[in-house]
Amino acid sequence: MRSRLRLGDLFGLGLRGLAARPARAVLTAIGIAIGIAAIVAVIGISASGRADLIATLDRLGTNLLRVTPGGGVLGTGSEVPEEARVMAARIGPVESVTQTTRVDATVRRNDLIGELETGGIGVLASRTDLLGELGGSVREGRFLDEAAIRGPAVVLGSVAAQRLGIRDLDPRPRVYMDGTWFTVIGILEPLELHPDVERAVLIGYPVAEKLYDTTESPSTLYVRAEPDFLNDVAEVIPATVNPQSPDAVEVTRPSDALQARRAADEALTNLLIGLGAVALLVAGVAIANIMVMSVLERRTEIGVRRALGATKRHIRIQFLFESVLLSGIGGIVGTALGAGITVAYAANRDLTLAVPPPGIALSIGAALVVGALAGLYPAWRAARIPPAEAVRK
Amino acid sequence: MADPVLRLHGVSKIYPGPPEVRALDGIDLSVQQGELLAVIGPSGSGKSTLLHIMGALDRVTSGTVEIESVDVARLSDRALSGLRSHKIGFIFQDFFLINGLDATANVAEGLVYRGMRRRERRERAQAALERVGLGHRLGHRPNQLSGGERQRVAIARALVGDPTIVFADEPTGNLDSHTSEEIAELFTALNDEGATLVVITHERELAERFPRIVELRDGQIVGDHAS
Ligand SMILES: Nc1ncnc2c1ncn2[C@@H]1O[C@H](COP(=O)(O)OP(=O)(O)OP(=O)(O)O)[C@@H](O)[C@H]1O
Ligand SMILES: [Mg+2]
Repeated sequence: MRSRLRLGDLFGLGLRGLAARPARAVLTAIGIAIGIAAIVAVIGISASGRADLIATLDRLGTNLLRVTPGGGVLGTGSEVPEEARVMAARIGPVESVTQTTRVDATVRRNDLIGELETGGIGVLASRTDLLGELGGSVREGRFLDEAAIRGPAVVLGSVAAQRLGIRDLDPRPRVYMDGTWFTVIGILEPLELHPDVERAVLIGYPVAEKLYDTTESPSTLYVRAEPDFLNDVAEVIPATVNPQSPDAVEVTRPSDALQARRAADEALTNLLIGLGAVALLVAGVAIANIMVMSVLERRTEIGVRRALGATKRHIRIQFLFESVLLSGIGGIVGTALGAGITVAYAANRDLTLAVPPPGIALSIGAALVVGALAGLYPAWRAARIPPAEAVRK
Repeated sequence: MADPVLRLHGVSKIYPGPPEVRALDGIDLSVQQGELLAVIGPSGSGKSTLLHIMGALDRVTSGTVEIESVDVARLSDRALSGLRSHKIGFIFQDFFLINGLDATANVAEGLVYRGMRRRERRERAQAALERVGLGHRLGHRPNQLSGGERQRVAIARALVGDPTIVFADEPTGNLDSHTSEEIAELFTALNDEGATLVVITHERELAERFPRIVELRDGQIVGDHAS
């Protein structure tokens, strides 16, 4: 002769309890939904963003060194040897090396514009393997090839193309460089780690030498090496490429910028998740509040249920379940909302969508835990009400 | 004579104050299976307190309460709940129905804590509603019912589990005299069918329709006689 409450009936009791005060239930669930939506969206968006960042890092590789043997723009003036590239390539762990050299020429859309009006666009002599080494690609046309480097052919960096007002290769656009017309044969996609190339127009070494007296002495070297020995390579490179003034040599790793961004992303993500967690906590307190109120209001119902045979435990789980149900509904709505935001954001930004299923399960789980914790005290109070007093008027 | 369904021996109930209230003072009372009795007394005489103690909803300060010869003082709160779910029915002055549920569901709620399946609960609830003359109001909600009809729903809820004994605390307190009479007749009819009922009231007129009247004053029984 024991009291028994079926699981299905417990479910029914919980739903009915919430349905009896729908506005209150909705408002309370909204709190949880917002907290969960924020967390899911932050996790989803940062995961999507990170997926892209990681893909970019993978594509570009982290084993590329950028070497300015003459010390960049403020060079020492000491001539960098023409064989610097070959010397660098001889270093054991170095896999490949390419280079560019600044060309002493200005580029203009046509011969009527003054020289100063196309400032900021550099001219670089480039080898045919440059684009491959930098992990870039062409948006239009093709890159410099063996034929193109000998003639008046030019490839535009993405920013340079924009500044020159050239969007595509139709009808065959040309640019004017110090007395010679060059045909544009290609436009590059953005090279986010190499802004100097983005802002330059590229021509072949042979034509640069013939028209502008450019030498093979490199302004910039791009050195790809075995990842494990990258630091060693960076150490010996200055003396190798510029034996006369190794101190002037600058060695950087362009992917460091991406890595730093990734770290900053993660820090921001953690901060936002922390804020979401605080929102969830506040929502939990709100649930506890509402449930305590509900227990006070439903004293009589509690008394009647006890008279009908409910044990203390039945009363306790009824209120606990109601609380969990409330937060669970909030959690599901919030997760859907957060996932929706992530999908919309990813689509908008053209990011690879990455809403991790464990993340979704975890966020709903978090909502349930919050609900359970919030419901503990009210449920305990409900069960403690003496039934005889509860059924008195 | 067979063992009584309910036996109180020297029952006292003191509400610890301050001020301390001796609501029941040395009550001796037995109820036999199949009895219908009224407990009357002025306000504050301890009627409700007695009912809660008889129905195992509250515990005594001293004395013993036996339901079917089991001393309830020895039972845990959980066991008492089990006892209430199977053996005891309650009817209250304010009906205490659930507003969002129709008559059938309200009555079926009386079987929820027996772990009975919904389908069976509803079937029994409908039968109980027929028994109290509400077969035509199965789907009505409390706010669509008259006071008398609501109390009939509450009575059906108390009876639906075929309890050993049913306690009613001023069941006609909120009803007009005509409806009160109808409810009293219903109790008599249910008693004729075999139900054991203890009905609390402060209306002597109503009590006198029942075979036995117990009079309470200041927590003591001052009269126990057949009417
Ligand atoms: N929880 C309580 N704490 C203290 N005193 C109480 C408590 N409940 C009831 N009493 C007192 O116990 C006495 C008996 O109360 P009870 O409710 O049993 O009377 P009653 O006969 O049912 O009265 P009424 O006809 O007004 O319903 C009263 O004096 C009341 O004030
Ligand atoms: Mg009373």
